[in-house]
Amino acid sequence: MVSLTSYLIVSAALLGIGVYGLSVKRNAIRILFAVEIIVNAANLNFAAFTRYMNPPQVSGQVIVFYSIAAAAMEAAVGLALILVAFRLNSTIDVRKLNKLKG
Amino acid sequence: MVSLAIPSDIAFVILTVVTITAAIMALHAKELIYGAVSLAVSFIGIAGFFALLDAPYLAMLQIAIYVGAIVVLILFTIMLVRRDQAPEIDEQTNSESPVGLWLAGLLALAISGVVALAGASLPTGEPPANLQVSDLGPVLTSQYPVPLIVLALLLSASLLGALVLAKVER
Amino acid sequence: MVVFPPTTPAELVALVIRIITSHTFITVVVFPGFIHLTVVVIFLTWYERKLLARIQLRIGPLYAGGPGGLFQPLADGVKLIFKEVMIPYKASKPLFLGIPVLLVFLSALPFAVIPFGQHWVIANIDVGLVFVFAMTSLFPSMILLFAWASNSKYPFLGGLRSLFQQVAYEIPMWISTLSIVLLAGSLNLVDIVRAQQKIWFIVPAFLSFVVFFISIMAELERLPFDLPEAEPELVAGWYTEASGAIFMLIFMGLYMKLYLMSSLVTVLFLGGWWGPTILPQPVWFILKSLIVATFIIIPRGVYPRIRVDMLIKIGWTRLLIIALANVFLTIILIGTGFMTAWGI
Repeated sequence: MVSLTSYLIVSAALLGIGVYGLSVKRNAIRILFAVEIIVNAANLNFAAFTRYMNPPQVSGQVIVFYSIAAAAMEAAVGLALILVAFRLNSTIDVRKLNKLKG
Repeated sequence: MVSLAIPSDIAFVILTVVTITAAIMALHAKELIYGAVSLAVSFIGIAGFFALLDAPYLAMLQIAIYVGAIVVLILFTIMLVRRDQAPEIDEQTNSESPVGLWLAGLLALAISGVVALAGASLPTGEPPANLQVSDLGPVLTSQYPVPLIVLALLLSASLLGALVLAKVER
Repeated sequence: MVVFPPTTPAELVALVIRIITSHTFITVVVFPGFIHLTVVVIFLTWYERKLLARIQLRIGPLYAGGPGGLFQPLADGVKLIFKEVMIPYKASKPLFLGIPVLLVFLSALPFAVIPFGQHWVIANIDVGLVFVFAMTSLFPSMILLFAWASNSKYPFLGGLRSLFQQVAYEIPMWISTLSIVLLAGSLNLVDIVRAQQKIWFIVPAFLSFVVFFISIMAELERLPFDLPEAEPELVAGWYTEASGAIFMLIFMGLYMKLYLMSSLVTVLFLGGWWGPTILPQPVWFILKSLIVATFIIIPRGVYPRIRVDMLIKIGWTRLLIIALANVFLTIILIGTGFMTAWGI
């Protein structure tokens, strides 16, 4: 029987992978991948708790529902920002995109 | 009716392996597009987890929104941001000490340790949860109507924002 | 008596016969499963060519054998298998070879939840409609990946156009099913069909039917929504570089999607398997699906291609408004008690 602990450990592993990608990678789009992985880890966490609580709370699924919608919005705006940054600087290397002006 | 009952433990193990491998490959693939495809596979793995956790509606939503919309957006952006240089010279992580790897590893281990130590006091879910899809609707509209409306406004705002940002100045 | 594990040949034969005659095996492999899907898809390719030929005052395939050229798809399949698969220079091999297989897989997968009869459904899950929605939302990304993997200009432009069109028309498609969900009170496709026992949902939700029908013609890239495949301009659109077995897989995937959309129209609007009990339920279902497929095929021989600005205007504004108007109409119908949330 799969217990709650296993799901939480999987979620922690995905969080670790996401944080690694967020801190090490230079390509802005890979950083976006890492952010999406972190958000998915959190969603998994919420869904696991929803199922294993007694009595089961549906609020966890509502939170995941909102989180999926919010992540879609954030990806759209983030990708638009990456496009604009590329147009202005011809690079998406985040170590070079370090000037706030222009 | 003969039922093909796959034990959920085997499914859990397979999904874990697929999701974590795909997440790692998404960050390490040489070409960004292969990375996006691995990310899509990892999202489908998470959708499988949702299906195992008695949340089929969330699983379908995850596939429809994440893989069906976000991955398409990412693929678009990758194709629009291509420079004409053949190799992707972005990743040079060997030049610095692997601080990021240690940081992430310690974080994951710390959380896993806390979870494993608290193992006995976590809820067990022994009476199996009987969550139906139709439970979600009343809770969404009667208990959480304000976030629903805020979400709708946020969606419109982000749509307009993305349009304004990505508009080409003529 | 069936014994597992079998020790004598007689027990093995008994076990195999027990498996073959079980309901699960029959639904997955024979009836709404592999064999039926393959036969119907092959029949649809012949049917479309004959139908278009008669509309255009031709005869269509005639010489491949069988009455009226019925073995033409078989001849096509054999020819395509023996043709060389040409992979373009610097194309991405895993994507180029793997995506057509995935396309056929994704076109066939939603059939697992479509009910062909009261007990003829492979998987009766509670979120059947959202499952079909999720699977059809995966098509645009696969088309974009295949177009990119072809490493060539024409397919890439065709892939982008196809992506824009399919993503734009997905929205009215699924908002028009909102009225159906309100009328049936459930996302389960079996419940949706059972709620249509007294009256088919095409009657109270006629506007939704129109919107859905137009949207699926745009999703399937059929004329008049033929822009991504505009022959004088883009050769063949996103699958230009496909040849041989790859092309056969894509072709089968497209026709399976046609059958899927026709079945979906039947389930949602035309009462699924309900009909006078002269014929068994699955026969009614297949009959209705084929009639819907006929009406999807006919405009290909009749209408000219739509302009791109009309395409965008219709997809993003007009159809959406009509679908939402129907949702309001449905809410009024249910609110005044004329229809309950379970049919009449």
